[in-house]
Amino acid sequence: MMNPPISPALAVAVPLLGAAALTGARKWLARAVMDALGLLISLATLFICAWLLLGSVHHGASVYWLGGWWPRGSTAVGIGLVIEPIGTGLATFAALLTTLALLFSWRFVETGSNHFQPLMLIFLAAMSGFSLTGDLFNLFVFFELMSIAAFALCGLKTAEPAPLQGSFNFAITNSVAGFVVLTGIALLYSATGALNMAQIGLSLGTRHDPLVLFAWTLLTCGFLVKAAIVPFHLWLPDAHAVAPTPVCVLFSGLMVELGLYAVARIHYAIFAGCFASHHGALHMILYSFAAATVLLGGVMCYAEHHLKRMLAFSTICHSGLMLATLAAGGPLALAAMLAYLLAHGLVKGGLFFLSGVLLHNRRSITEPELFAAGRKLPWAGTLGALWILGGIGLAAAPPLALLLGEAGAEHAAELTHLHGLSLLFIFGGGMTAAAVLRVGMHTFFGWGGGVISDRAAEIGELPETKPENRKIHPYHIIAPAFCILFAIAIAFLPGWLHVLRDAAAAMANQPAYLHTTYTGQNVPLTQPSWREAIPGAAGRGLLALGLGTLLALSSVFRNRLPRPLRAGAFMEHGFRPLRAMQSGHPGDYVLWITVGLALFGSAAMIFMRA
Amino acid sequence: MPSVLHSLPYFVAGWLFLCGLYGIVTSKHLVHAVICLAILQSSTYVLLLAVGYRVGGAAPIFADISTSELVVDPVVQALMLTDVVVEAVVVALLLAMVVKAHEKSGSVSPDDLRTMRG
Repeated sequence: MMNPPISPALAVAVPLLGAAALTGARKWLARAVMDALGLLISLATLFICAWLLLGSVHHGASVYWLGGWWPRGSTAVGIGLVIEPIGTGLATFAALLTTLALLFSWRFVETGSNHFQPLMLIFLAAMSGFSLTGDLFNLFVFFELMSIAAFALCGLKTAEPAPLQGSFNFAITNSVAGFVVLTGIALLYSATGALNMAQIGLSLGTRHDPLVLFAWTLLTCGFLVKAAIVPFHLWLPDAHAVAPTPVCVLFSGLMVELGLYAVARIHYAIFAGCFASHHGALHMILYSFAAATVLLGGVMCYAEHHLKRMLAFSTICHSGLMLATLAAGGPLALAAMLAYLLAHGLVKGGLFFLSGVLLHNRRSITEPELFAAGRKLPWAGTLGALWILGGIGLAAAPPLALLLGEAGAEHAAELTHLHGLSLLFIFGGGMTAAAVLRVGMHTFFGWGGGVISDRAAEIGELPETKPENRKIHPYHIIAPAFCILFAIAIAFLPGWLHVLRDAAAAMANQPAYLHTTYTGQNVPLTQPSWREAIPGAAGRGLLALGLGTLLALSSVFRNRLPRPLRAGAFMEHGFRPLRAMQSGHPGDYVLWITVGLALFGSAAMIFMRA
Repeated sequence: MPSVLHSLPYFVAGWLFLCGLYGIVTSKHLVHAVICLAILQSSTYVLLLAVGYRVGGAAPIFADISTSELVVDPVVQALMLTDVVVEAVVVALLLAMVVKAHEKSGSVSPDDLRTMRG
């Protein structure tokens, strides 16, 4: 058994203890000291996670039993942290985004009397614990810890009513989701007497009965609420519109996607054997929900004029694309989903940082008010170029790394004969890229005029930084530039894809995963490369980008176009029923969650019955 | 009718879950919505305890009974206690938000809270 180089528990303990210490000292420490300490702890966590990641890549996966509680036979008596490249990779990514977010908020973003930094560290601890743990109940605990830190971060700006609406709806919906997950866990425990995911999987074997199906439905739907899949998505735009920018980066960059990771994790570790004979139906159910998400997210994204809400709907759309990729099934799809997750997190994080720069300097976040404002910024050229690159990235066009994920998804869909995935990618990528490009043309180029608005944009958002200093500092540029340039760099250095492919093969292979968990030994599995699929994906990405650009142009220059060609302006007004769905009432949101649960559950009962 | 009695806790759990859900969906008062969330969560307490119950089992404290004796499952009781902690935090945070909302807008109706739509 290969021991990890350092205790993996540190990946959770360091930020958690750091947060506790900072909370205790926050009244006596100056803002700059709090920021420096927060950044230092976050960097230390990044270092620990990266070390664990490198260890697991070089020496294979291993399991760390907390407190030395080794399993007795096949019974896990303690809580295990699974140190394999995917979980540690996600923890590293969480630490990276948190570090960038803390750097971005350096001294200027309002912190609600220094509560911000400790909460960010708790959020980081929860995300890295969520990625690493191999225990189902522990997963729930980190899920709740992540949620609670997120609710508090989201409602940090309590000086206005809108943040209260956003964080209250967020808290109610995600708590309901948490209890749905817990009910599923309790049912699984009653069926197997186990909480370790591998042990549950071992004990269930190929058992397929209504209880298992019910537990799967509850667990999957609970995590899909976090992943903002239609109709569970309603909390996300409200929460993003009001959360401080660095928090939005973590929400959209990783938290939402961790919901999908959990769906994949429980599927492959626990239920893969149970539903082996119903793969087709299972994938069709997930695929239908994903397709609805892509369509709604794309349409709503283009119809929004509040920058953060627009990016939030784009996250919904891309979360749908990732679920659709996952629904293609198999290890290749899992690897493609994770590659897309990483690239999307970077690009979306970069775009949120840029919108934060606009909010900081121009004191506004809505498209009509920001018209031509980007040109007046210092560093306007750099910021504009980064924004447009972000838009290109969302279309999965070269040179950004989303392309690699799309290529893998397409290859996986070909292997499993899933149709329409490329159309979804072109639609979702095209619509979200069009929205970002339209904002870029208005804000940074000052093209067109008479920007269309909508109701949410009229509320706007109060600035999150102090009014006396509107200066743009280098660290405001470093964070977005790092995100976007890193997303380009990993597209040209695709060596990490080998590691990801092999790790996904091990995660998607239930017996191999069980073997690793119990013996700590790694089963080497490899899967084919998808290199040959990249040129096709680049073509589709460019097609999506082209269509998106045309749509954005037809919107920006609508007054010079004959009426039938004003497709963009038509799309920009949005669709009334979809807007009405976003009612802002917590009761409505929970009702939609109930409807989604009922739909998902009845589909599972009809198509996947034993 | 032992089988009915054994399945009773599961019905109670399901009933509480639906009650809480109904309450949140129809709520006209933010405090009411938070309490309904707590009711929804108490269904998980009942469910967890029901899952661990053994007929004739003693309390899992081995100070005065032998380790071979039949006891109810202590694991789910630990889970339930964790769940209680989670609930306390969630409810406290939500109620703090309600207090803030009342301070800002003078209202505790979810209809008055919503400023952003569409």
